[in-house]
Amino acid sequence: MSVKIEKEQIKDKPELLLWKIAGSLGTESINDISSKFEEIINQNYKFLIAEMSNVNFISSAALGQFMGCRQMLVEKGGDMVFSGVNLDIKTKLSAMGALKIFKFYNELRTAINAYEWEVEKKPEKVYLSFPPELKFVPAVRQMVSRIAKQKGYSQRDAFRIETIVDEICNNAVEHGSVDQKKNIEATVIIGKEKIELEVVNTSDPNKIEHLKEISNSLKTLSPKHDERRGRGLALIKMLSNKLDINFSGDGTSVHVTKLREE
Amino acid sequence: MNTPYKFKLKFPSDLDYIPPIRKFIAETLTVTQFTPKFAYRSEVIVDEICHNAIVHGSRSLNAEIELECEIYPDKFEFRVKDEGGKKEDLEKLKSVVKKSDVSALGLSEGNENRGLGLEIVRLLSEEIDMEIGENNKTTVRVVRKREDF
Repeated sequence: MSVKIEKEQIKDKPELLLWKIAGSLGTESINDISSKFEEIINQNYKFLIAEMSNVNFISSAALGQFMGCRQMLVEKGGDMVFSGVNLDIKTKLSAMGALKIFKFYNELRTAINAYEWEVEKKPEKVYLSFPPELKFVPAVRQMVSRIAKQKGYSQRDAFRIETIVDEICNNAVEHGSVDQKKNIEATVIIGKEKIELEVVNTSDPNKIEHLKEISNSLKTLSPKHDERRGRGLALIKMLSNKLDINFSGDGTSVHVTKLREE
Repeated sequence: MNTPYKFKLKFPSDLDYIPPIRKFIAETLTVTQFTPKFAYRSEVIVDEICHNAIVHGSRSLNAEIELECEIYPDKFEFRVKDEGGKKEDLEKLKSVVKKSDVSALGLSEGNENRGLGLEIVRLLSEEIDMEIGENNKTTVRVVRKREDF
């Protein structure tokens, strides 16, 4: 069975091309691969995703041809990756050493997300609403830390992020209104180079003035309040690159930006 | 009736997010006095439902998954919403949710692993149903009751 390679432009991504490959990538396919690649190498494309879910066989000759294609793209500052490769073929490719050279993604969406993350540096957003009780804070901070690690942040960076989340969420619970019991809302915007956290809660009206005092004291070098209070916010300020606290109506919003260190 | 603890999560339709999300659900169940066994089985269900939503229920590039859950003293209920998959996938999903027979997903065609996830969910839960709204937006709802009463 011969190979069929269909090219598809991805909307709003002029440097990225998709190849939908179907059939058998035997030795006879290398001319097809080569001629299809010739068509694209002279255009603006730098990144290529080879979608392989309908491929039933790959020869070492075809893999060699793909390696050549990838090398030319890398020289242009780009890359070539695979998506949707089935387990049998992936095992064979692994034996041929392909896993050391190419990146593999389970499906096309993940490959495109990876492109957006790595090349376009597009951040991703996670929203969480949780009850204002201290017992939920460990799960929240660990979730954010795991997301950071999953997205490639180092253990150290992830742990510092976890510390920031812990302090902000503890504050949101401790200074939150005991009457309203409205959920705390946390938004995480994570990108390749930085992470932003925003936590919004309904504040205890009896504590707002004190909170404002602590917040203002963080802007000066010598806090006048009780040293034991405000340590959490001071810690967040030390670990992050930007800290903003806003009081509006009965709500408090804390916004933190932390640049990736490693 | 006790007021449940309510959580809501929205995250990108990307498999990378499943491990942190399912562990979060398991950890919240543990702190609300469900056993580790219950928490882990719930984690398994969340994993399967979210996996389906991402792989089969996300048509656009920037698709999001929404997960809402309520934790009661005696049960855990959650709903996973996605933007809806292809018509044929939706029909298959409906069929598997209604039936207990995994052959509803065409196992004879060599797709032995298809449908297994939902069968696992059915085995571990008390209720599972789905709703298809406007523009094929799909919600799968699962209820698990406390096992150690």
